[in-house]
Amino acid sequence: MTDTAIQIRRMNKFYGSFQVLRDINLTVRKGERIVICGPSGSGKSTLIRCINRLEDHQDGSINVLGTELNEDVGSIDLIRREVGMVFQHFNLFPHLTVLENCTLAPMLVRRFSRAEAERVAREYLERVRIPEKADAFPSELSGGQQQRVAIARALCMRPEILLFDEPTSALDPEMINEVLDVMRELAMDGMTMVCVTHEMGFARQVADRVIFMSNGEIVEENTPEAFFTNPRNERTRGFLAKILAH
Amino acid sequence: MTDMTHPIPRNSRLEQLRHRFLRTPLDIAVTAASLLLALFVGWKLLDWAVLSAVWTSPDGLSQPCRDASGACWAVIEARWRLILFGVFPYAEQWRAAVATAALILAGGLSCLPLFWSVIRQALLWIAAFALFMVFMHGGVFGLSSVPPAQWGGLALTLFFFVAVVIVGMPLSICLALMRRSDLPVIRGTAIILIDGVRALPLVTILFTAALILPFVLPGWLQGDKIWRVIAGFALFFAAYQAEVLRSGIQALPRGQEEAAKALGMGYFHRITRVVLPQAFRNALPPTINQLVITLMETSLIVIIGFFDLMASGNAAYGTGEWSFAYVEVYAFIALIYGVFVFSLSRYGRYLERRLRVGSS
Ligand SMILES: Nc1ncnc2c1ncn2[C@@H]1O[C@H](COP(=O)(O)OP(=O)(O)OP(=O)(O)O)[C@@H](O)[C@H]1O
Ligand SMILES: [Mg+2]
Repeated sequence: MTDTAIQIRRMNKFYGSFQVLRDINLTVRKGERIVICGPSGSGKSTLIRCINRLEDHQDGSINVLGTELNEDVGSIDLIRREVGMVFQHFNLFPHLTVLENCTLAPMLVRRFSRAEAERVAREYLERVRIPEKADAFPSELSGGQQQRVAIARALCMRPEILLFDEPTSALDPEMINEVLDVMRELAMDGMTMVCVTHEMGFARQVADRVIFMSNGEIVEENTPEAFFTNPRNERTRGFLAKILAH
Repeated sequence: MTDMTHPIPRNSRLEQLRHRFLRTPLDIAVTAASLLLALFVGWKLLDWAVLSAVWTSPDGLSQPCRDASGACWAVIEARWRLILFGVFPYAEQWRAAVATAALILAGGLSCLPLFWSVIRQALLWIAAFALFMVFMHGGVFGLSSVPPAQWGGLALTLFFFVAVVIVGMPLSICLALMRRSDLPVIRGTAIILIDGVRALPLVTILFTAALILPFVLPGWLQGDKIWRVIAGFALFFAAYQAEVLRSGIQALPRGQEEAAKALGMGYFHRITRVVLPQAFRNALPPTINQLVITLMETSLIVIIGFFDLMASGNAAYGTGEWSFAYVEVYAFIALIYGVFVFSLSRYGRYLERRLRVGSS
């Protein structure tokens, strides 16, 4: 039990009468790297947003780091401290500098002193290779730089788990690699990661397991080798054919 | 008179002016006529306001003005204390001056980035109001008591404006936040309050607060008329400002609050550190607008018996002695309002630059 990071059992989610997620079962061990892919609208974002309860689920159970996700506000805030998230559109706070973006939550939520929070922030900005932009505002950075700051911001909370929702799909092609490099290093360091991405090269190199979703269901769950060379499911094959074609 | 199809020559300013205003004979005629008219009006104004004006009247009487053709600034010299302090006891008017200065000073300080925190603003304004009450109201430290009924002029107008904004602004934030709550009861309450207040003219609210509330409220809750009227006015201000703020909040991308949530920040921190700073920044121009309108609307309190800046201005020329000099008095009052409105809008401009409105 102690090495289970996320356990989702028989989870269903509805928007009104529309069922977005069906009977999801998924277990992620600590240190595991999971890549989720699937066609647009298949429920990938919804699934990972359920893990830090940006969305609630109607049915079944989600257990994160030993805490059951339910209405209890206290446990939600506890979980969110331990689960970082990186968004497609970065969502940096535009009224704060890069450094302030990184220190805000640690100071307010983790009760770090300013000096401690800034030390940690500079350390992670160093790791994502933009220490020199600490005093810039987000609007002064390129997309790739913003996404790296967003990763640093999430890391400053020292989370156990990092969720990525298509972190590179809003980026120009030449910026994708600088973000993927940072993510690869994180994976190397043993961070537990759940990534929604269509970067199949990244999935092949880094993932322990690849999950394919379609119409709100997990259709296939496989090792990267098997997933790319010998997918079991018809729909997976169709999707791979499309996405690897270009 | 510029013609967009012809590029304006950029070689010199003079050339540009010539091109704009002196291109055809008709242009030349119109330009010349306008210039002449402007010169004529300007000259007349200068002559009236400065050259032929009477600046002072040694014995405090209006006779020198009646003999002259220009403006009678002597009326200001004779009546300025009435305009600034109303019917505040004459010998004690230095107290009203100190009290007013305290408010203006606090207003100036609160605009400095040094004071941009909730706690500092609160401390600053509590101190300012304490000072104001000690000097204006008195009744402590050996100062004689001067009840609000005797307050007036600029002192009353400023106090009223500042009190309305300080009560109304936090209230507007509450209403705006309630209005976007997930709980139907809270959202509904906010909608009813906002729409209800906006359905009433300000005059009605002021009359209700001044005249009707005393029949409804228990005695210990009534307080002086001025507090009830400030409360009513603040509610009115808050209803409009809440919608201004809500528009500022709605302009935020959804991702902002989600990012704050994902970092584990609770509701209070999300609102105070992420949502409101950006919402205020988005809503800055209409907020300044609202403040200017409110300053002007404070002159409505005259109808429920307060002797505000406008009212004391009317009184200043309302004696037989000075009744001809109303233009000069109004010009003086316009100047006072103008100074405050101008400072507000300059400050708004400064904030817009400083907060990088429009960048995101
Ligand atoms: N707030 C909402 N209300 C109603 N339906 C929603 C809402 N959010 C998402 N949906 C629907 O749920 C389904 C899954 O959406 P989701 O965003 O999880 O898909 P996705 O797999 O992340 O797609 P993409 O690759 O385009 O990001 C979609 O059909 C979408 O229309
Ligand atoms: Mg998505």
